[in-house]
Amino acid sequence: MNRLFSGVGNGFAEIWGHKLRSLLTVSCVMLGVASMVLTTGFMEGFFKNWEDSLQDQGGVEKIFVTAQGVKERQEPFAAVSPGLTLADARALRALVPQIGVISPEIDAARPRLARKGKTFEGRRGARVMGVTNAILEINRYEVATGRAFSELDLADDSEVILIGSKIRETLFAPGEEPLGAFIDFNNRPFRVIGVLRKYERLWGDYNTLDWKNEICFVPVTTMATKIQRSDRLSFLNFKAVDISLLREAVDAGANVLAQQHRGIIDFSVRTNEEQLASFASTKASFVIGGSAIAGVSLLVSGIGIMNLMLASINERVREIGIRKAVGATPFNIFSQFVAEAVTLSLLGGTAGVAVAVGLIKVLATTLPPGSTPLLSPSAFVVGFFFSVAAGVMAGIYPAIQAAKLDPIEALRYE
Amino acid sequence: MPLGSEVLRLDRVGKRYPMGDVIVDALVDASFTLNEGEAVAILGPSGSGKSTLMHLLGFLDSPSSGEILFEGRPVAVLTESQRARIRAEKIGFVFQAFNLLPRLSVRANVALPLAYHGSPPADAADRVSRALELVGMTNRAHHKPGELSGGQRQRVAIARALVNEPRILLADEPTGNLDTKTAAAILDLFKELNRLGRTIVVVTHSPEIAANFRRQLHVRDGRVTEGGSA
Ligand SMILES: Nc1ncnc2c1ncn2[C@@H]1O[C@H](COP(=O)(O)OP(=O)(O)OP(=O)(O)O)[C@@H](O)[C@H]1O
Ligand SMILES: [Mg+2]
Repeated sequence: MNRLFSGVGNGFAEIWGHKLRSLLTVSCVMLGVASMVLTTGFMEGFFKNWEDSLQDQGGVEKIFVTAQGVKERQEPFAAVSPGLTLADARALRALVPQIGVISPEIDAARPRLARKGKTFEGRRGARVMGVTNAILEINRYEVATGRAFSELDLADDSEVILIGSKIRETLFAPGEEPLGAFIDFNNRPFRVIGVLRKYERLWGDYNTLDWKNEICFVPVTTMATKIQRSDRLSFLNFKAVDISLLREAVDAGANVLAQQHRGIIDFSVRTNEEQLASFASTKASFVIGGSAIAGVSLLVSGIGIMNLMLASINERVREIGIRKAVGATPFNIFSQFVAEAVTLSLLGGTAGVAVAVGLIKVLATTLPPGSTPLLSPSAFVVGFFFSVAAGVMAGIYPAIQAAKLDPIEALRYE
Repeated sequence: MPLGSEVLRLDRVGKRYPMGDVIVDALVDASFTLNEGEAVAILGPSGSGKSTLMHLLGFLDSPSSGEILFEGRPVAVLTESQRARIRAEKIGFVFQAFNLLPRLSVRANVALPLAYHGSPPADAADRVSRALELVGMTNRAHHKPGELSGGQRQRVAIARALVNEPRILLADEPTGNLDTKTAAAILDLFKELNRLGRTIVVVTHSPEIAANFRRQLHVRDGRVTEGGSA
């Protein structure tokens, strides 16, 4: 213990004795750790962003049913199927316990929104959908002011409408109260009962969530009877009660729908799994690539430390000889060098983490929100651990070399 | 260890330096025994092999032939750590070239062997002070070796050799850089240490100094011979 302590003490004295060399070593480790933490931070930020957008589309438990053309051999009988209708939603609700929320949706064909001579154009034009409150839950919409649909709205085919924030901004003057006001949807007056939250995730200047702001909802029943004049659904989305029941929900749902459609497969059932799989595989390849970059930077810093340690040995051969001559064992010499390497690595590692935190904080305020790196605790732990390990490993080789020297050989060294 | 018992024994020890085509035999068939409590002067012309012999006695170097025994045990079979331990606790070595650490203060240089002592004494600080006092270097304790004269450095080297209170003191020309008065003081110190039972081996060029020691060894062209008074 005491021997180790004296080694550590000597290590400190040595670090102080060679300020420039120590500074270089610390810088090597610092750069290694900082680049490791930054690389990981950027990766994590990127994936967090992606994962969020997956969630905004309903998350992994979401199942999409869309109408699609039948296979060739079923073509002669296609007409016997009633198609995707509200009745399907009721059947799924009644027959498949693995299904949680069900959202029947009718996308209005060519919606026109107008109020007091103003019309909504938007980036892609307005989108008006006949829905139930389920869409709020599945696609994560929030009513900011006003209310969602009531049972009565749906039962009575009420002409009420929930509007997105962009619609409100366009059709209403700032400060004008939208609740209770009427807007024309395909020349029918609809009473505004709620305004949706404003969604924003910037990618540069571009709001990647604008599509959520350019949308309006009316009761699906109203849409079926008064606008579309048929209860054909555009989409029928539902969520499994739990992610573990996803497959079962998909299979059972498909069976019920096939039954409803008299065996005609004029629909497709899809999940977010493919997206998730591509997310996972992209993430895996990024993690490998990022780790390689981080690994190389750590390796470079390790080589830097090793180089400095070896240089310091050549410079200190006489010192090693003297220490051995007055009784230092190989272990004493060894522990002195390791202590030095550990101290420098720890210093460098701490500095590296500090630099990385600082950079990430600065970048977070200067970069657009979509591309900011994240402070990842695991990156700190890994970066710190590896830098210290690299430093120690780099210190151990020269330490063994130093410990092996014969005292008089070292003393003769010029 | 009773007075007069064997401490170090050399049995036909040789040291040969192969220097390309030329082979230098720095030491040839050296055989003698060093007993507990002895005071020995080693004499010989420059280049005769005195320092080579001292290094072998302090286990700082290994012989090319023959055998060295420490307290009856062959040094060759000891591990590097065991040898280091003996160097730290039982042998004090004063190098001809001083070999102080330039970046450490005089005090830290003198304290160095204590760091490598198996069981460092509690009074380590006192011991360093006492060793510095013995050689009259107390007032220079916080200087770096580079700021000292040759003679002062030599005295620091002696203090370092004494700080662990070793049983054996090996000093390679410890008075070479000292004026007559300081040299006499150091010589008195050695004699006092020897009177207290320490084994002392001193290399010197000076027959007057050698005359202070009961036993003399002469080295000439690597051959060691026993001599009475020079
Ligand atoms: N490392 C070495 N390589 C080759 N020859 C050496 C080496 N060390 C010493 N010698 C030679 O061995 C011989 C003895 O050297 P040594 O240093 O023992 O002499 P010395 O008696 O101590 O001389 P001095 O009184 O000048 O100190 C010399 O001829 C020297 O050249
Ligand atoms: Mg010599």
